[in-house]
Amino acid sequence: MSDHPRPTRRSRLLAYCYPRELREQYADDIARFIDDTRLDPRYRDDPFGQLRVMARLSADALASLFSSLRSGAPRPIRVASPEPSLTQRMRSISMDALMKDVRFAFRGFIRRPAFTAVALGTLMLGIGANTAIFTLVNALLLRPLPYPHPEQLVSIWGTSDAQKQMLMSLQDVVDLRQRNHTFSDIGVVRTISVNLTGGDRPDRVIGNFVTASTLKLLGAKTAVGRLFTEDETALGAGQQVVVLSYAAWMGRFGGRRDVLGKTMVLNGRSHVVIGVTAADYLDPFESELWLPVSSAPSREWFDRANASVWAVGRLQPGLAPSDGQKDLASLEAQLQREHPQSGARPSVSVLDLREQLVGNSRFMLLVLFGAVVAVLLIVCVNLANLQLIRASTRAREISLRAALGANRARLAIQVIVESLLLSLAGGVLGVLLGTWAVKGLVSILPIADATPVHVDAWVLAFSFGIALLTGLMFGAPAALFGSRVNLQDALRARTESATARRFNARNALVAAELSLCIVLLAVAGLLTRSLVRLQHTDTGFDADNVLTAEFRLPSAKYDDSAKVTLFMSAALERLREIRGVASVAFVDAIPLSGNYGMVSYVAEGHAQPAAGAEPVTQVTNASDGYFRTMRIPQLAGRDFDSHDRVGSERVAIVNEAFARKEWPGEPAVGKSVRLIGPPDQIVRVVGVVGGVKQLTLSEHDSPQLYLNKMQASGIFASVAMRTVGDPESMGKELREAIWSIDPDQPVWKVRTMSALVRRDLAPAKLSVRLIGAFAVLAIVLAVIGVYGVMSFSVAQRTREVGIRMALGARGGQAVRMVLRSGLEVVIVAVAVGVAGALAAGRYLESRLYNVGANDPATMLIVPLVLAVVALFASWLPARRAARVDPAITLREE
Amino acid sequence: MTRKTPESLLPLTPAVLHILLALADGERHGYAIAQEVEAMSEGQVRMGPGTLYGSILRMTSAELVEEVVTRRREDGDERRRYYRLTPFGRRVLVREVARLDAVVALARRKSLLQSPA
Repeated sequence: MSDHPRPTRRSRLLAYCYPRELREQYADDIARFIDDTRLDPRYRDDPFGQLRVMARLSADALASLFSSLRSGAPRPIRVASPEPSLTQRMRSISMDALMKDVRFAFRGFIRRPAFTAVALGTLMLGIGANTAIFTLVNALLLRPLPYPHPEQLVSIWGTSDAQKQMLMSLQDVVDLRQRNHTFSDIGVVRTISVNLTGGDRPDRVIGNFVTASTLKLLGAKTAVGRLFTEDETALGAGQQVVVLSYAAWMGRFGGRRDVLGKTMVLNGRSHVVIGVTAADYLDPFESELWLPVSSAPSREWFDRANASVWAVGRLQPGLAPSDGQKDLASLEAQLQREHPQSGARPSVSVLDLREQLVGNSRFMLLVLFGAVVAVLLIVCVNLANLQLIRASTRAREISLRAALGANRARLAIQVIVESLLLSLAGGVLGVLLGTWAVKGLVSILPIADATPVHVDAWVLAFSFGIALLTGLMFGAPAALFGSRVNLQDALRARTESATARRFNARNALVAAELSLCIVLLAVAGLLTRSLVRLQHTDTGFDADNVLTAEFRLPSAKYDDSAKVTLFMSAALERLREIRGVASVAFVDAIPLSGNYGMVSYVAEGHAQPAAGAEPVTQVTNASDGYFRTMRIPQLAGRDFDSHDRVGSERVAIVNEAFARKEWPGEPAVGKSVRLIGPPDQIVRVVGVVGGVKQLTLSEHDSPQLYLNKMQASGIFASVAMRTVGDPESMGKELREAIWSIDPDQPVWKVRTMSALVRRDLAPAKLSVRLIGAFAVLAIVLAVIGVYGVMSFSVAQRTREVGIRMALGARGGQAVRMVLRSGLEVVIVAVAVGVAGALAAGRYLESRLYNVGANDPATMLIVPLVLAVVALFASWLPARRAARVDPAITLREE
Repeated sequence: MTRKTPESLLPLTPAVLHILLALADGERHGYAIAQEVEAMSEGQVRMGPGTLYGSILRMTSAELVEEVVTRRREDGDERRRYYRLTPFGRRVLVREVARLDAVVALARRKSLLQSPA
């Protein structure tokens, strides 16, 4: 074959099909081998010879590629005997090598304590934040509720356009239970404060008025005794019995087994204890004890026209809440036809029990989860960049190792091993941090008993998973690009400075983290502005120096309205006499306390709309002096006064929004309003006051109407007491004044008005604090990222800058050159980030108070701040470029 | 590269064994090795360039074979790379053949082979 000193071009191309390891050494030889084979007389003269040659060569090339991929090296010398199984091979190849990699990585960590500390610290924060928030997401949104077949459990409410969850008629619910075709069972629910007397001092417990089916369908078990029977809770035939929760048993009876058969005086009536629920039964409604709905606190409950309960249901297997809803809605319509005299019924809503328990927190949890994932991504990007930078500075070390026989796969594995070690260590620290943070969060969040928050196996699996993923993600770029080193190039000379000028992987990563940062900052900005607006919103009342409390008179004892009115006026009198009290009043719903009432009405001068289509207003019963006490401005007419009594004309005071809506341009005082009953009642407007925030600070002006509490016989009342000095210290006097009238009357929820305002702001404040903390973390990480990459690119371009300066460029020009590449990154980041921020804003829109989703201030300031910070971070290393001494750099050439 | 004992490389893969055998009686270039192997095995073993050079790469780094540095041959083809056995390579080959011989002897004692060669 000596007549072919040089291989043909065709064969040289074919040689390209072989693995790189072979080509580097033997490209010419392989090509010549191919030529020799093709020209072999045996094939040359055979008509199918060339085809056979090609087939053989292809098989050979494929086999070589495969063997090089599989073992990272072509063609072993030794037959491993006996042929090892895959796991054995993994163990024998990898354990040795892996231990070597691990030791190598540890030596690296010790050699570079700063990098290691930054990596571990940021990983700990990123994974810790994710662990904490995921623990909440897991407990509230993912983990099944602790009941058998929780997917079948629903809550059943009345609903209207104005109100999502309205009480329903007890009689209706009992009928729905009997007539429906979609539920396995339905149980009545009504949690309400119950007076407990007979002890040292009167007390209040959360009682749940239920049917026997309620505890049964929730799958409750008992620790001692038994649950209710159907007969015990049947309307009109019930027994005076009570079931205690495990906590109440422990707290009030010390867990003694002789509790069974003991009597408790509840709402003035004796009830016999028949059982205690098991310790692991977590009630969805946080009941302390259960009472048969037949012992309802008020006889009104048995009136079909009175809405006093809601319900929990278990759907038949395989049915969805919407199926139940359809069924119940048609039954309600049927009930409406059968009992038209009991007034228009609201429509029925059937919703997943979990939705009822955690629906309110879902949105904020998801926003928070998004924020921590963004933070973790930024951590990833940062570490990926640090690893990439290190890989390129190690290019020569790596090529040397490659030249000495280390193959690419092994080098890549080593980078991955190092990254995984870091991320797993960071994960362990993160889980510790997260567990600690969860404890803090739980202490400030309202968490339902049914969704206990703790770090469980799922959380640990999640944290381990994200630690692994993080390690792979930030190791991958360096493993892929870092090991792709051209041997000759890298060994021959320094890294090409030209590569540094491109918008390369490092710059793209920095742009990505900056844009994530913008999104996070914008979300934090929008929420903060919304919170500030909320804090400065006009509540309509003066919360300073007001103490509030609640009580409910037992209807067994106060069994006619005269007794109730007598108690109320006597108590009011006593409270006014307390030294240091400026004014005091009763009201049934203190603003922001969670209590409120709604009523449909027809105002004078308006035609009667269709039944059920009447407008709705908030309604509050208040005694005279309420507006003075709360400093709600009186705009027209008069306050209630002592002439408004039971039997005299029923009077009402409306707020400005009501008056403006119903009688625009006319005086409201003197007009009458018909409140839809049953029974309907006509009230005359005697005054107009300012509006107040009743349910929450973020509600918008809506019609409000006040009735005189002294003209009604409601057994529930709240005290509003304006004090001269510190209201906090007046709780004892308030209680004693009530007890001086009835020593058996419990008083609860003694708290200041300012505390109620703070409570209403708490969730918004908490989310702003958390998101704000994550945003600050993100910006710090982003600055580190920008600084790192710019420092590196300056270091890489030292030679280029040196040459330029030798040719007459000035220091300032060098700085501008570096800054320009920083600016490119920032521009890309701002464009992407603002787009993301606008999208995030739209998602948040419904939760923002008086702030637009694309709030111009936020959308301008955030990118501006970030651009300035990012440019500053690139200016620091850029200054170094100006100090490059051309003489020194050129000498190194 | 740390010196290995011949035993640490045994048993050899068929390709390595045949290349060593092909080089046992003198130096050869790549294609010549492949042809020799094919001839020796009466067409049973055919090597493509990938198999051949893949093995030679490993064998070179294991110091079983070495490239002949200066080549002046009457055929004047200076560009071809020639390989020969190293003393270590020869020792490995001898041990491997001895090992195979022992195996064959054993098989013969068990009357697995019909007639002695």
